[in-house]
Amino acid sequence: MTTPDEIRRYLETALPGAEIAVADTTGAGDHFEVRVSTAAFAGKTLVEQHQLVYRALGKLMPQIHALSLRTEAP
Amino acid sequence: MADVIEEIEREVRGNHVLVYMKGTPSFPMCGFSAATVRVLNEIGVPFKAVDILAEPEKREAIKQYSNWPTIPQVYVGGKFIGGCDIVRELHARGELAPLIRAAAVA
Repeated sequence: MTTPDEIRRYLETALPGAEIAVADTTGAGDHFEVRVSTAAFAGKTLVEQHQLVYRALGKLMPQIHALSLRTEAP
Repeated sequence: MADVIEEIEREVRGNHVLVYMKGTPSFPMCGFSAATVRVLNEIGVPFKAVDILAEPEKREAIKQYSNWPTIPQVYVGGKFIGGCDIVRELHARGELAPLIRAAAVA
């Protein structure tokens, strides 16, 4: 089981200074809604932005059954 | 695996709008796949759907091919445009239909 704090820690490590919001949508620790806003996304396509987030989550990804993602450059 | 990748390449090149999904457009087996089909139906564009639940090898291959860890995955004009969240966001911004039209002309 993954916790929102864990997700936040992984994202903060990979994307320092990012504004991050994580919600466990079912309370079961496997469905999450994540929003990330960071200057690191500037000039990148949505696909590239989401790829950065997936990469940042690394070994957490296989444990997460459903991840709804919203990314933007501030 | 090489055979599956070749098949994916054929599908990507040969279909204007292509969705790798769980289940079929009439019977989606996952909320994200269902939402993606709903957006495409709203736009009213014909699309080819590949049910990766019916092809376990392709389920892993497509993740590598697109460098994308989740299903569904949408291709337009041979180009990967994203998963459910991106498709929904592009549609909400009114950008998805023009993108599909532009790819048809090219």
